[in-house]
Amino acid sequence: MTVFKTFLKVLKSCKGTIILYSAILIFFAVFNTTSGDNTTNFVAEKPDVFIINQGEREGITKNLIQYFEENANIIDIKNEENAIRDALFYRDINYIIYIPENFREDFLDHKNPTIEVKSTGDYMASLADMMLERYLKLANIYHETFASEEEIIENLNKTLSEKLEVEVTSKLDTDHLTQIANYYNFANYSLLAGCVFVICMVLFSFGRDVVRKRTIISSMNYKKYNRKLLLSNGLFAVSLWAFYVLVSFFLFGSSLFTIHTIFYLINSLIFTFCALSIAFLIGNLVHNREAINGIVNVVALGSSFLCGAFVPTEYLPDFVLKIAHVLPSYWYINTNERLKTMEVFNFENLKPIFLNMGVVILFILLFVVMMNFISGKMRKTNS
Amino acid sequence: MKNVVEVKKLTKEYKELKAVNDLSFEVKEGEILGLLGPNGSGKSTTINCILSLLNFSEGSIKIFGQEMEPDAYKLKEKIGVVFQDVAVFEELTVIENIDYFCGLYIQDKGLRKRYVEDAIQLVGLEEFKKFYPKQLSGGLLRRLNIACGVAHKPKLIILDEPTVAVDPQSRNNILDGIKTLRDQGTTIIYTTHYMEEVEILCDRVIILDRGQIIASGTIDELKKLAKLEEKVTVEVMELDSKYIKEIGEFKNVEDVTYHEGILLITYKKGKNNLVELMDYLKNAKIQYNKIFSERPTLNDVFLELTGKELRD
Ligand SMILES: Nc1ncnc2c1ncn2[C@@H]1O[C@H](COP(=O)(O)OP(=O)(O)OP(=O)(O)O)[C@@H](O)[C@H]1O
Ligand SMILES: [Mg+2]
Repeated sequence: MTVFKTFLKVLKSCKGTIILYSAILIFFAVFNTTSGDNTTNFVAEKPDVFIINQGEREGITKNLIQYFEENANIIDIKNEENAIRDALFYRDINYIIYIPENFREDFLDHKNPTIEVKSTGDYMASLADMMLERYLKLANIYHETFASEEEIIENLNKTLSEKLEVEVTSKLDTDHLTQIANYYNFANYSLLAGCVFVICMVLFSFGRDVVRKRTIISSMNYKKYNRKLLLSNGLFAVSLWAFYVLVSFFLFGSSLFTIHTIFYLINSLIFTFCALSIAFLIGNLVHNREAINGIVNVVALGSSFLCGAFVPTEYLPDFVLKIAHVLPSYWYINTNERLKTMEVFNFENLKPIFLNMGVVILFILLFVVMMNFISGKMRKTNS
Repeated sequence: MKNVVEVKKLTKEYKELKAVNDLSFEVKEGEILGLLGPNGSGKSTTINCILSLLNFSEGSIKIFGQEMEPDAYKLKEKIGVVFQDVAVFEELTVIENIDYFCGLYIQDKGLRKRYVEDAIQLVGLEEFKKFYPKQLSGGLLRRLNIACGVAHKPKLIILDEPTVAVDPQSRNNILDGIKTLRDQGTTIIYTTHYMEEVEILCDRVIILDRGQIIASGTIDELKKLAKLEEKVTVEVMELDSKYIKEIGEFKNVEDVTYHEGILLITYKKGKNNLVELMDYLKNAKIQYNKIFSERPTLNDVFLELTGKELRD
């Protein structure tokens, strides 16, 4: 019997658990889609913004404030440091805009004035952020072509209102995108749990001291044998990923035919490899069949909770998110969240996504290095 | 005859403990060599060194005239090992387990199928082919463990205490299987701390204690080495110490003890020891139930050489 065939037999003995993890994912996804209609309506929801204007309410400055008055809830609070901090903390406001005194003059002089902001960092704040960014970008573009302030403002308003209509029509998709993002966020749990459980079981079965000894003394090339085992495990992980992708197509159908999907797939595939490396690391450390279940729960459930796979990150306290930075799941989920609200795929927008993927890849490298270090160490203590 | 295994000045240290100390011996083609020793005497360590599973501090080991190295795959083909601990896949049946381990050596499917059947027959697991390991009793599991180690028909088989904690039925089966292998021309190293097994099975014995060889040779040679030829046991209800002293002065007598109705006399050498003793007992009008003479066991040899019992 070949290594691969035996691998499949071991896998077969894990099938109950794999089905369970997958069922949880599918159940969650179905529940999420059916209840999705009455959750978020993006047009109705506006970010709460507090604007501190240090200059005159004239010209472009006036227009900028008007734009926010139309598209956001302007909240008035006391302009005091404590009051502002409290308001941010309790989410009475999502976003604060400081318009500097000479904003208008600097802008017209092509001096590129900076507008300082404070934000709660949640979804609503990022909406406000997007609005401000778009406004300034467009303003700069029209400033290149038009000389007079009136012309700039006129064109700016035209474009902004057009844009808004587009946003209204794309509302349905945002709903779907949220569901898809939630699905892939949740897959964080299923992929991690599935990979760690199966690979630990496999490594346990193949790696028990004596079975390993038997393999080492046999005439099978040990490197080749290890490669076969690694390949089998990799194949399993990729199959699990492919299966979850298939399920997502089954659940969301044609709403997946967007550019977003390509990035969801790449992101989750990279994360699958990360789960694989975590699984190998744990499998090399744990030599106790009974402990495997507990470890799967700690690793998969723990990182899923901390990093926002179950609960959206904006509901998680800041310190939890800070801790979550040390887990690869955080970066994986962060990418999904960014994709959810992404309208334009240009390098500027994709940069943080590539960065996140880079971080996950670094995690993979780190785990591989750790694994080599540990298995090397264990080989030494054995002899 | 050719030497299949040559061990020279092997020393293996664990921190302060010398698990194996300056060990030299060889195994000849076609023989069963017994490695006998109490728990912790270094049997498994020696075997693991031979298989280069352990790095050793000093010495050299050659198998079939070749040095054992991690990538000496041609050499490894000729070796089969049964480890002390059972090593099988829980997820595979008896036949699948044997097939898997045999498959580490033999790629040809048809040949392997035959070999697997042979191995099953050798250990008598025909009725349990489709059983999973957890459905097997301890003895049957041990038999499976052996089948997994020898299915590829190696020329040299190393068995590390294959009969520990095994019921008599399985033990006999295992011993028969090993004899069959020997008759097929296989060279065997057999580790145990049961001297009865060694006496039944082995052509030559090495007795280990604390990592050192304290004696080696054929069983007869060992017994001679211990200067013990004959052991006579007499069941006597009562015995005056005067007689014990007199018996002790017979020629050839090494030692006399009397304990709870058993008179035990060990002889160095010589003929007609039993007759002489029976005549003496008759003349002295001593009533006895039973008298028998036997050759000393390896335990006696061990006792003689180390002053302690082989079995604890
Ligand atoms: N990994 C290790 N680290 C330290 N000491 C060890 C190690 N393995 C074995 N020993 C010691 O080396 C000595 C020889 O052990 P070994 O296992 O070779 O004995 P053995 O003759 O096979 O005994 P048994 O009949 O119990 O199997 C023992 O004293 C043991 O405690
Ligand atoms: Mg041992």
